[in-house]
Amino acid sequence: MINNIHKLVNWFFNKPKTSTIIVFVGFSLLFIYIAFQKYKIDSEHKRVEMRNTLNIITRNIDQTLKNCYTTTLTLALTIDNEGIPQDFNNISKKLLESNNSINAVQMVPNGIIKYIYPLEGNEAAMDLNILESKLFQKEAYQSIQNQKMYFAGPFNLTQGGQGIVGRLPVYLKNKFWGFSAVIIRTERLLNASGVNSLDKKKFSFQLSKINQITKKEDYFLPKETELTNTNYVSSYIPDGDWKLYLIDKNSNVLFKNFLFNMTLGLVLALTFAVFTFLLLKKPEQLQLLIHEQANKLIASEIKFKTIFEQAALGIANIDSSTGNFIEINQKFCELLGYSESEMKEKNFQDITHPDDLEKDLENVKNIKDGKIEQYSLEKRYFTKDGRIIWVNLTVKPMFKNNNFDEFSFISIVEDITERKKNEQLLLNSNHKIESLINTIDGIVWECDAKTFEFTFISKKVENILGYTAEEWLSNKTFWKDHIYQDDKESVINFCSEKTETNSDHDFEYRMIAKDGSIVWLRDIVNVVSENNKATSLRGVMINITKNKEIQRDLDTSFNLVLEQNKRLLNFSYIVSHNLRSHTSNISSLIDLIENAKDNDEKEELIGLLKSVSNSLNDTMTNLNEVVNIQTNITLSIEKINLHNYISNTLKVLSKQINENKITVNINISKDIEINYNPAYMESILYNIISNAIRYSHKERNSYVTLNFYQENEFKVLEISDNGIGIDLEKNKNKIFGMYKTFSNDKDSKGIGLFITKNQVDAIGGNITVESEPNIGTTFKIYIV
Amino acid sequence: MKKKSIWIVDDDAIFKIIIKKLIQKSEKFDNVETFSNGEEALLSLNNIIDKNERLPDVILLDIEMPIMDGWTFMAEIDVNKQKFENQNISIYISSSSIAQEDQIKADKNPYIKGFLTKPIALDNLIKIS
Repeated sequence: MINNIHKLVNWFFNKPKTSTIIVFVGFSLLFIYIAFQKYKIDSEHKRVEMRNTLNIITRNIDQTLKNCYTTTLTLALTIDNEGIPQDFNNISKKLLESNNSINAVQMVPNGIIKYIYPLEGNEAAMDLNILESKLFQKEAYQSIQNQKMYFAGPFNLTQGGQGIVGRLPVYLKNKFWGFSAVIIRTERLLNASGVNSLDKKKFSFQLSKINQITKKEDYFLPKETELTNTNYVSSYIPDGDWKLYLIDKNSNVLFKNFLFNMTLGLVLALTFAVFTFLLLKKPEQLQLLIHEQANKLIASEIKFKTIFEQAALGIANIDSSTGNFIEINQKFCELLGYSESEMKEKNFQDITHPDDLEKDLENVKNIKDGKIEQYSLEKRYFTKDGRIIWVNLTVKPMFKNNNFDEFSFISIVEDITERKKNEQLLLNSNHKIESLINTIDGIVWECDAKTFEFTFISKKVENILGYTAEEWLSNKTFWKDHIYQDDKESVINFCSEKTETNSDHDFEYRMIAKDGSIVWLRDIVNVVSENNKATSLRGVMINITKNKEIQRDLDTSFNLVLEQNKRLLNFSYIVSHNLRSHTSNISSLIDLIENAKDNDEKEELIGLLKSVSNSLNDTMTNLNEVVNIQTNITLSIEKINLHNYISNTLKVLSKQINENKITVNINISKDIEINYNPAYMESILYNIISNAIRYSHKERNSYVTLNFYQENEFKVLEISDNGIGIDLEKNKNKIFGMYKTFSNDKDSKGIGLFITKNQVDAIGGNITVESEPNIGTTFKIYIV
Repeated sequence: MKKKSIWIVDDDAIFKIIIKKLIQKSEKFDNVETFSNGEEALLSLNNIIDKNERLPDVILLDIEMPIMDGWTFMAEIDVNKQKFENQNISIYISSSSIAQEDQIKADKNPYIKGFLTKPIALDNLIKIS
């Protein structure tokens, strides 16, 4: 049964056009039928309504006529035996008052109108012989013949208007007397009948009678609507041979309605048909769509199948619980050297390198636990012939039917054996380079050209500066931060400047090593640039601390040699000036002695010669002393109390101090001890203080002040006076020279400061002088 | 021949005695003045020029002297060169120095006529007269 319905439905669906026509015809018929039925019912209804209405009208007219009959009868009863109506006017008046449909009453003895009430307006009818009037006679005779009241007309009344005359034949003693007549105005009759209360829009009324003469039907009322076969109902009133018509004014409305309904029905049917068509067409379209999709799906499946099979990557569908290969593509099999059927008997655990299996299984577990959605790893497989291949494996779960608990794994593998080989080679090469870099006896480095942030530093940094490479690289400004304070600014400026101009540079600076020591580095820097813009710097830092030390030693030696040379030069001066001055004098004197005129002169010259000899002796002694100082390598250095030595010197010089009224201020703590040669200290103090006394200003309160303080790495003994001073502008180079005297003082020998200078130098210190003529002199002895 | 005036500027007292004897022997000079340093000589020279007295024809100038040495003396002469230019004074260095640089320095100075190395021979003294 259901099957049959299905078949039917399918039949419809399969033949949408035919089905549409069927639906259209079916619905059209149905709607037409309904319209027709409605039309029929409406027609019937109308007809009944009209019939009822007409019946009422007919009955009303009948009633009016019966009243008229009563009136004529009443009038007839007024006729006395002589045939004379009694009290006609009074009775007529009362009758007219009681029956308002009557317009007038007449008594017509022998067919001649003799009595009329009211007479007024009806005078024309008086004395009219109706039996001789062609218009009335036929009906009059008919009435006599039938002995029944007969209503004639309607016709145009003599007194004007249309009216109906009802005549009752009156028989007096079985002998026709005449007529008792009433005149009813048609208008009034119709009024009384209720015709006027008809709905004028729907209905019209007509009254007709067969013309006795022409035998044709005469219509008495204006013809508002043409009579057709169907649009009226009629009734017959025998008292006047009248035919009454109730005419439907809108008889075609029903038909129009019928047509409209039918049209509507057809339209509806058409609409249904269209809908049906569309409805039936839809599945067909859907079917087409499905078909298309299916084709696509098939195409896609074929495509994917092809991709799966032809892919350059190994692809496999793996059972998530056992690890068995459910599906596996050609490439996967090729990679491993197994056939597809062989592979399908294996699981991935069988072919995975044992070292990689654990990691693989862990990832599988993570996917199962929902911790990760997929994973990739590089692992090794064993091929059928036992080789190891490296693959990059990507695994994703493939859910079955959108059920997230049930899934298999899609594994995609890429053969990366070659890449791994290359990586290994690269790694080896990198190792080689790195080990090469690390064997370089310098720190190989690379840094950003702008920020000087280091991106690489070789391990050698640990040997040279004590920092690990990690330490160095972990701080962006490590290099800048660890440059020796004094070099920092100039180094960074220099580097920036050179980098800006893309010039390679090679420079030296100091860095602070991890142990706090200062390390001298030579940094040879290459600027790496792109598009003429420096991007990074690469270089090697070489530890040149030793070189620097050597250089410093060399400098020291050089200075020493320079100093020695200066002394030697000085010595040569001494020899040239002092020794030669004596020898030249001797030579001259001997010449003079040889050529002396007499003994007295000879004696005098010999005396001079003695004096020169003594001077020469003094000079030799002084020179000996200087040579001693300069050649004294094993000079004994002792810890001495400075204050004590000063006191001793002042004691020795007390006589001169008193004579010259010199104030001596010693601003030196009594417990100051210095490392010095005792004899030299005595000599130095003696020479400088005695100089201060000798060259004191005679016109002022002279003083000598001794201070002692630390200046950088040196201890300084400062001896100042307010004496006559020396013009250092002129004598700068001479003050510590031998036999340099700056005054005519007879005690000036020009040897004291020369010896002092030699002694200070011999200890390893230095002596300086500041002086202004007439203001004073300050000596500073720098003590190591 | 008219005898000349000679000034000795030297701090060595013995040399001054010796040179006086040699001057005497040369018999070329009728006037000898000695000064112990450049300053003394300069003061005297200025004085003489100002007073328009007899100027020395020859000056023997030592280099190494206290207060004002020979070179400083020459520098002072140079500073006031208008004053000394037309005075026709022959200045000779007389020094025991045998240093080359002193010799060169003397040669470069246009006011120095020559360099006499001590001991000064009588012949040389006669030559410069």
